[in-house]
Amino acid sequence: MIKVKAFGMVAEKIRTNELELQYMPDTEVLLGFLHQQFPDLKHIKFSLAVNRKQAVGKTMIPLGAEVALLPPFSGG
Amino acid sequence: METKRTPKNIFVQGAISPDKIAKSIANHSTKTDIGGHSIFLGQVRADQKEEGKVIAIEYTAYEEMALEKAFEIREAIFAKYPLSCMHIYHSLGEVKSGEICLFVFTSSKHRKAAIDACEELVEKIKKEVPVWGKEILENEKSVWKENT
Repeated sequence: MIKVKAFGMVAEKIRTNELELQYMPDTEVLLGFLHQQFPDLKHIKFSLAVNRKQAVGKTMIPLGAEVALLPPFSGG
Repeated sequence: METKRTPKNIFVQGAISPDKIAKSIANHSTKTDIGGHSIFLGQVRADQKEEGKVIAIEYTAYEEMALEKAFEIREAIFAKYPLSCMHIYHSLGEVKSGEICLFVFTSSKHRKAAIDACEELVEKIKKEVPVWGKEILENEKSVWKENT
């Protein structure tokens, strides 16, 4: 299983802030799945974090990982 | 002397009160090796958007990652500048326009390190810490903020 957390505009688009998905080996497979499941995501900008580390490019997802969908930050 | 630092909570529920800022300054009076403080305060602006005027910002964060990231930034800044003290506070939840949502406070023996560290901290916090602001408009609409 993978725990997926969504924040900000991404959570609004997919109408939830947490998903439990079957295991997927890397972030490219996960993104493909998410885009298919939630076509609205194709139109917004977001990055991924795997176990709280920003994932740049194709990144392996360890078993039981927590993946987060992060829209552009706007703190401060 | 090396002191071991651990991640601190940077989040404050709601606006950061001027009283908290005053107390934080007062807390440094015993640290008499400090010669200069630098403070940055972020305030919610009542921007006029196409859709309406901003009356508040509602902040959310990926808290676990934000605290890890803030700790990393903190360590890097401590390594780069000769600072005596560093404090970071960021609001979560609703902060009305005119209220304070970010408080960054650095202290050092001489002013230059405090000023430069404070500026770099603010830039890094805005760019690297997973926090999101949703601008609440007077007509109950809302717009996701994006840092420039």
